[in-house]
Amino acid sequence: MVFILGTNFNEARLVRKTLQSFYGVGPQVCARLLARLYIHPTARLGSLNSQTVLDITSILSEMKIENDLRRELRENISRLKSMGTYRGKRHAMGLPVRGQNTRNQTNSAKKLNRVERIG
Amino acid sequence: MSSHIPLQLTMSLQTCWRCLSKTSKPPLFSLQHPLQSWLLLPATIAPFTTSASLAKQIVNSPKVPKKKKENNVLKVATGFRKKSKKPTDVGKGRRPAPGERKALRKRVVLSNTNALEVHGLQDIDAESMMNESFRGQVLGIPGRIVDRLRAVEAFKVPQGWALFRRPAMLMRKETLDFGREVEGIARDEKKKSIRRVYVGERGSGKSLMLLQAMTMAFLKDWVVINIPNAQDLISAQTEYGPVPDTTPTLYAQRNYTATLLSTIARSNPSLTDLQLTQPTNLSDIPIPIPPNISLARLASIGSSDPEIAWPIFQVLLSELKKPSRPPLMFCLDGLAHIMCDTRYIAPPEYKPIHAHDFTIIKSFLDHLSGAENLPNGGAILAATSNSNNPVIPSLDLALSQLRGNQTVERDPFAKYDERVLGVFNKGGVEVQTIGGITKEDARALMEYWAKSGVCRQRVDEGFVGEKWTLSGGGVVGELERAVIRMRV
Repeated sequence: MVFILGTNFNEARLVRKTLQSFYGVGPQVCARLLARLYIHPTARLGSLNSQTVLDITSILSEMKIENDLRRELRENISRLKSMGTYRGKRHAMGLPVRGQNTRNQTNSAKKLNRVERIG
Repeated sequence: MSSHIPLQLTMSLQTCWRCLSKTSKPPLFSLQHPLQSWLLLPATIAPFTTSASLAKQIVNSPKVPKKKKENNVLKVATGFRKKSKKPTDVGKGRRPAPGERKALRKRVVLSNTNALEVHGLQDIDAESMMNESFRGQVLGIPGRIVDRLRAVEAFKVPQGWALFRRPAMLMRKETLDFGREVEGIARDEKKKSIRRVYVGERGSGKSLMLLQAMTMAFLKDWVVINIPNAQDLISAQTEYGPVPDTTPTLYAQRNYTATLLSTIARSNPSLTDLQLTQPTNLSDIPIPIPPNISLARLASIGSSDPEIAWPIFQVLLSELKKPSRPPLMFCLDGLAHIMCDTRYIAPPEYKPIHAHDFTIIKSFLDHLSGAENLPNGGAILAATSNSNNPVIPSLDLALSQLRGNQTVERDPFAKYDERVLGVFNKGGVEVQTIGGITKEDARALMEYWAKSGVCRQRVDEGFVGEKWTLSGGGVVGELERAVIRMRV
């Protein structure tokens, strides 16, 4: 098992998929992070040496990911709400924010748009 | 009405009244009563049964079918429940272990016990490889050479080795020419080195030409380094990292280099007789290397530790260039792959790394271009591929110019890579086109196929001519498809 940022991962797992499992790390960020540490895209966690694993953890800990990023998102939405903006209201009502029609198919908005957005 | 029907029936059937009355009753009855009552009644007990014993039987008897019915129902129900259970693992099979499918995909079969043994098949040796009398003959590859060729991965999966009892090869013109050149290098005092790129259409035998060259090198006890597929070096499937203190930055592939060193140690037994002449510099290799060890041992040290694989490879190459060392053959298949950007990315620009910035590729290209020479002679051979090659306009331009087409002009819309053109600018690189084989060679090959039992037709002039033409003028791969693999 490989310990990265408070989580244990299986050694057979791809490094790329492991990094992308963190909220805030997508394909672009992941590709850069891998290149920065000279890890090839098909590397698995088991092939990394301990120093590289520590480097990954230290780089990830400097980045705004996971709960920090989620908190920022919630703060942004609550700021809109407290200012009384239209976008804040729409978030509070669970309706589309960017002018979409609401006659039907607002599932994503219903699911995601709220003041305490999950992520 | 009741009398009318029997009368009609008597007339037609001519039976007695008694019978008719019986036959006529059911339809009449059915008209009066609905059929449903008939169907339902037999299940019930007749209330007017005269016999008490019979009645008892009848009263008891319904229980039996009822039980049966219940049982049936129960059985059905249990059976259904069983079906609804999660199916067991029967027939599911075992999941292949990690690497098992790849091993199967990469497996090279070199022997087929079902194939007929060709009597009188001679083995190639140091004499026959340049003897013009063997032109157009098929010669077997000796077992010890087969093992070494297998170690350097000279045999490829799509090649039809699995159809024959043992590996053998056709002595075509290019083969014998190369054999003479190899012999010339051995005799020549100047220790000339051949720098050559094999080009030709798909299936013409470029990779096989490399195999034949390596066979000859092994026969003459040269040291052979082979990169069987250049795509492995650029496809970002193996580890990479910058080499310290290099400007512009070079990148080493530790694991690939370690594997290459292991291959070199296994395939070149002559390295055990060669000793390390000078102690290694500790700044290059962090671990102390014992002095006077054999070069095979040096290579195996490098293969066991990927961290020092590249410095060890450098030391090995420099040792092989020392005086009184055997000539060196460095082969690479799939030249176009190392003439473009790789799939690797490097900071700070986060752009793809050019293939020429990788150490093994750079080392090969330095030798091919003549930037580094081989003091003991040898051959630097590369083969292009036409079935798996990226489009590299610079390489196409350079190769066509080297082939003698000086009139080829640059395409104004194509992007040319000066680094690629620079490899061939220094001159000295030959481009040899591998074309189709002659009809005589084709006939010899087909006779060998017939003796091996894979070609069932009679090999005569008409058959050879037809297949030779069908194969685009003796392109060996196409010839094999037309004669061996195609079943009409």
